[in-house]
Amino acid sequence: MKKNIFIYTVFLLGLFSLLSSCKKDYGDLNSATVESFTANASASELNNLVSGTESGMRNNLALYLDDIGIIGREMYHFSGSEPRYVTDLLGGGGATLSNSNFYITNPWASRYTVVKNCNVLIEAATNSTLINASQKSGYLGFARTIKAYQLLMNLNLTYNDSIRIDVSDPNHLGPFVDYTDALAAISSLLDSAKNDLSTATISFTLAGFGSYGDASGLTKFNRALAARVAVYQGNWTAALSDLTQSFFNLTGNFNDGVFNVFGTGSGDQLNGFFIPQNQTGEVRVAHPSFETDIEAGDDRINKASLRDAVASLDGLSSDRDVWVYTSSTAPIPIIRNEELILIYAEANIQNNDLPDAVTAINKIREGHNLADYSGTFSQPALTTEMLNQRRFSLYCEGHRWLDLRRYNLLSELPLDRSGDQVWTEFPLPVSEQQ
Amino acid sequence: MKKSLFYVTALFLFLVASQFANAQNKTIVGKVTDATGAPVIGANIIVRQSTLGTTTDAEGEFRLSVPANAIITISYSGFKSQIIKAETFNGYLNLKLEEDVAHLDEIVVTGLATSVKRRNLANAVATISSKELNGVAPAQTFDAALEGKIPGAYINANTGAPGGGISVKLRGVTSVYGNTQPLYVVDGVFVDNSSTSGGLNVVTSALANGAPTSNANGGTQDNPSSRIADLRAEDIENVEILKGASAAAIYGSKAAGGVVLITTKRGKEGRTKISVSQDIGFIKVRKLLGVRQFNQARASSLSSDSATGVLLGQEFLAAQSKGQIYDYEKEVFGNTGFARNTLLSVSGGNNRTTFYFSAATKDEGGIVKNTGYKNSSLRLNVDHHINENIKIGVYTNYINSSADRGLTGNDNAGVSLGIALSSTPSFAQLHDSAGVFPNNPFAASNPLQTIALMTNNETVNRFITGLNIEATLQKSKSSVTKLIGKGGFDFYNLQTSAIFPSILQFQAINKGTSVAGFTSNLNVNYIFSLVNTFSPSDKLTFTTSAGITQETGDYNNVLNVATQLISGQTNINEGGALNGTQTRIKYLNGGIFVQEEANINDALTLTGGVRFDRSSNNGDVAKYYVYPKAGISWNLTRMDFMKGDFFDNLKIRAAYGQANNVPAYGSKFTAFNISNISGNSGLIVNQQQGQPDIKPERQIEFETGIDFSILKGRLGFEFTYYHKDIYDFLMQSNPPSSSGFTSAWANAGNLRNQGVELGLNARVVENRSVVWNTGINFWFNRSLVTKLTIPSVPQGSFGYVLGTFQIQQGKSATQILGLDGNGGVSRLGDAEPTFQVSSYNEITFFNKLSLRFLLHWKQGGQNINLTNLENDFGGTSADFDKVTNKLGVPDGIYRIMQVGTDAHEFVQTASYLRVREIGLYYSFTKLPVDYVKGIRIGVSLNNFITITKYRSYDPEVSNFGTGFSSGVDVDPYPATKRADFHISLDF
Repeated sequence: MKKNIFIYTVFLLGLFSLLSSCKKDYGDLNSATVESFTANASASELNNLVSGTESGMRNNLALYLDDIGIIGREMYHFSGSEPRYVTDLLGGGGATLSNSNFYITNPWASRYTVVKNCNVLIEAATNSTLINASQKSGYLGFARTIKAYQLLMNLNLTYNDSIRIDVSDPNHLGPFVDYTDALAAISSLLDSAKNDLSTATISFTLAGFGSYGDASGLTKFNRALAARVAVYQGNWTAALSDLTQSFFNLTGNFNDGVFNVFGTGSGDQLNGFFIPQNQTGEVRVAHPSFETDIEAGDDRINKASLRDAVASLDGLSSDRDVWVYTSSTAPIPIIRNEELILIYAEANIQNNDLPDAVTAINKIREGHNLADYSGTFSQPALTTEMLNQRRFSLYCEGHRWLDLRRYNLLSELPLDRSGDQVWTEFPLPVSEQQ
Repeated sequence: MKKSLFYVTALFLFLVASQFANAQNKTIVGKVTDATGAPVIGANIIVRQSTLGTTTDAEGEFRLSVPANAIITISYSGFKSQIIKAETFNGYLNLKLEEDVAHLDEIVVTGLATSVKRRNLANAVATISSKELNGVAPAQTFDAALEGKIPGAYINANTGAPGGGISVKLRGVTSVYGNTQPLYVVDGVFVDNSSTSGGLNVVTSALANGAPTSNANGGTQDNPSSRIADLRAEDIENVEILKGASAAAIYGSKAAGGVVLITTKRGKEGRTKISVSQDIGFIKVRKLLGVRQFNQARASSLSSDSATGVLLGQEFLAAQSKGQIYDYEKEVFGNTGFARNTLLSVSGGNNRTTFYFSAATKDEGGIVKNTGYKNSSLRLNVDHHINENIKIGVYTNYINSSADRGLTGNDNAGVSLGIALSSTPSFAQLHDSAGVFPNNPFAASNPLQTIALMTNNETVNRFITGLNIEATLQKSKSSVTKLIGKGGFDFYNLQTSAIFPSILQFQAINKGTSVAGFTSNLNVNYIFSLVNTFSPSDKLTFTTSAGITQETGDYNNVLNVATQLISGQTNINEGGALNGTQTRIKYLNGGIFVQEEANINDALTLTGGVRFDRSSNNGDVAKYYVYPKAGISWNLTRMDFMKGDFFDNLKIRAAYGQANNVPAYGSKFTAFNISNISGNSGLIVNQQQGQPDIKPERQIEFETGIDFSILKGRLGFEFTYYHKDIYDFLMQSNPPSSSGFTSAWANAGNLRNQGVELGLNARVVENRSVVWNTGINFWFNRSLVTKLTIPSVPQGSFGYVLGTFQIQQGKSATQILGLDGNGGVSRLGDAEPTFQVSSYNEITFFNKLSLRFLLHWKQGGQNINLTNLENDFGGTSADFDKVTNKLGVPDGIYRIMQVGTDAHEFVQTASYLRVREIGLYYSFTKLPVDYVKGIRIGVSLNNFITITKYRSYDPEVSNFGTGFSSGVDVDPYPATKRADFHISLDF
């Protein structure tokens, strides 16, 4: 008996020791993990993060444009299966903006996912020993620039409800800062990115940056965004100085700039904002005021093409399709020269440098088949003219609502149905309020 | 590791085999019969504290050499065992076994390698015999055959579609987003019971995220079958159900949902028996909802646009004048499926080797044309004694099954049969002329065309092989030590093909879609255990067992979606666009266990055990989690002070145990999604946050009960109360999305289940001409969320407007909330039934004619029923124009008006009383030829009678699969009923 017990004990101990060597961690067999990238990423892995970041900027972009375009009364989005475009966003039927609905939760989350990707890229590039210092600066400069841009887009939606800036640790998120501080933080993030880019070598390929994909090009793109932020801040002198370092060109092509691009390749994305002309059911149509307010002869009328039949839903109707993006692979601008010219005009108006402003405005007018500005040479009159040019030049690119809000003019937007509202800002998504 | 184990085992076997032989000096000869004098074939004659034994032959006779002082146990399943002493006995033994109405002598598994008689069991372990499982009115698949047969379980068919698909919840919901289903063990093999989606979401968009599958919240809306359905019920000898952690703790990390132990049939020593049985039957829809009776005005009212309305009215009149008004529901769901099932079994053996072989094939049609189920299976079970100390068993099973499941259930594209029907009025013209179907102007698809042309098939090729080795290492008068090894593998290949040719109405944009899924899965597990039985006296027995276990799983699924198919082609390379996804899951769980059982005077049984477990799915893969268990049962009637006449048997018992449920594979990682922009492939962080410190959820269960039998065992009674707490249940939380994540796995809180199970077994009538056995079970469960650490938000289903599940602290885990009609959100129901009762009965007349039936009553419990609402929205519900509401508008209109203010209409009580199975069998005893040993014929009805007020196809439904969101009813494949004729011949 004793002998047997001894044998069993040995036997069991043997088995247990064998078993304990069988501990396994299979890792994630289905996809790359953040944990593996932040350890010591190679240049090609960092490049994957760059492309993922650029690709992710397109997620829910159409919805962002819908949000701003619909509240800014640039357009309607009629959908058979989704009534909230004409109820909640317009205040129709007593509806209000909800903190749990797709129009805020989806774009908000998509932007912060890109921010997260930028933070992962920053961490991965910082920890990587497989790239040199100037390459590292390139990754950091790109990541910080895009991060600032994505934060700005969410700030545009939530305005005084604002945003979190510090989100690098998902379990200990930074606080919501107020609107002014948020803009300042975005501005300084852009500045630090510019600083990175000044010593950078770019070893990655970008899709929608055209000739602005190298270090100097990215710097120009960075400054273009900085100019936009500066006018949002009312920092006119800074805006003008940023413009000089950007790709701003008073006589240049309006469409020179940086874009979100789309493609039909496997896994690529199509322009989600594009809907063919004369559809029924799911349509994006111009707000009727677009046609009534535009000057005769303005070629920008082509941004809203005449429909074969009037589209209507829930007491709203329009006979023009939004025709800004004319194919499923048409690019959506991030920022382009036409906006920079208008920023130049705006900054000069506010600095009371009216002749330079008028020069810029006339560049826009001439470019769109209109005679030179003939109105009053005064700050208020030129501000109105500048906002009007922005309305048509940047139609359905995500500006009108923000511009009128900046100048406290939201009350001028037309209301189509009794009870309709013009919202000032979106509520914070429900997940942020817990 | 495996190789070294082999050597160690081989060495031990060698040592053991070269041992001992015993003196035998008395021969016992006898015959075993039942109460009616019929021979009991295959009864076990075993000498206590030895490995000596035999079984009775076809005449019930046996012969066995034993030591002169041997104590011999004679037992047979379903009868009370008897003990005789060899020394008090001479000559021919005539032994009459009494039927064990209360199942006290049934052997019940208590450990990974040990078992105990039910009279000494500390837990309420449910057992389903072969006859109960398959001998009344056989169901199409094994999983459906479990329904109504397990006290303490809430079993729900997901759908009526051919090939099964079922949710089994033992003693309440044991997790939120983790696995809620039990572990199935077949002959020691941990078999896979996953559901693999065939990618139907590509056409149904049931979950609108663009993914090919609609897996969410632990369930899927694609209604795939459960893989356990592959098993053949005919091959199963019995099923034991360990319902909670107190019984299942020793199964460790996969046992939180309970364990279903399946033992298949074994051969018996003696004449080789050949049995052939044939079933022929038909399958019909259990109930149709009916269709709306249209007239011109009603037809016109289908459109809110007056001009269109006028046209619709004219369309109706035209159809009516031509006699072209159709009941499309009947055309779609009214098919009669023919069913056949053939089984050949051969069993037999000698004193060293026994075998059971079966070959079976079935082919069954569905209530929708071009749907149906086929299953062919081969099984060979062989047990062999290498010598008197080593016994091995090999249990192999090959299964080929194929299910054509149609296209039903939730759908946001108007393509599934029910959704298409819901908006198709009776005057629509959908019939083909020469194979060309018109488009259905009332829906996105023409259901008749869909049925005729589409394919949704699951084909499985599966091998399950169990191995069992039992070696006696040491044997003395007071101690026996055995090495028991059990294990095996379960491998299957699953092919899903969902084919939608380009000429289908809803394929106008995709121009033909073929979704081809290829899945292979391999589960391997083993248990090595040393078991020592030490009997210092015949009143005291200690059983000590210790061992190791390991389970591995490797699942690989590739789903290819091809669109723009070349006409007539289905291969995925015959399309213009191809998208593929691959999902792999791999795990390794390891455990160590020790268990001690003490039996004192066959009256007091004490059990204690502990298992240490770790898993590759846990955040910390090296950490062992500890799962203890303990049990006590005290059989008072074996005590001197209780030796009265009233109680035949009286036992009190209590048991405690812990088990867990490992996190889902991959939940600890933050993954990247792949992206492409202009040919630059990129990675972007997945919106699901990884939790590196994710823990298994832990279940702690305590149960106690009292069992007694009176009137000489004719009436048996069991009462059980259980209380189980689930700590750190797994759930997905919604972190602030500014973190970059919208969901994260979390150990989110604690919940509690409490319940009562009552069982009654009785022989109601017993005389020479009639014997009536009945078993009645009553049970209920109540759950309570005791802690929730993440914010409470609606889970799954359709939000407050139509009713939704929501986990809230202090509330039932399965509560259903919805708009209450007073401007607020209130509790409108609960998926948990108030109680359930089932009753199994067998009435035998003259020992030849047997009537068996199974009743099942589920009281209370709500479903979220949108089937009726879909029909209201489409203006086709049968009672649309009735006026029974307080507003005096048509009921259909009234119900639509409730949407957005009051969800009571959609949260409906799903009580039912169902005669699940009823069968009448006759056995011929006077046979025409002597080589035929027996003929049995029978007729059976399955699901034929149901009494319910529930307003859809069937109260038993769960279109969102086996996960947490059960009882959601959205245009399912309707439930079926079946009738069969049976004949079997024994040779």
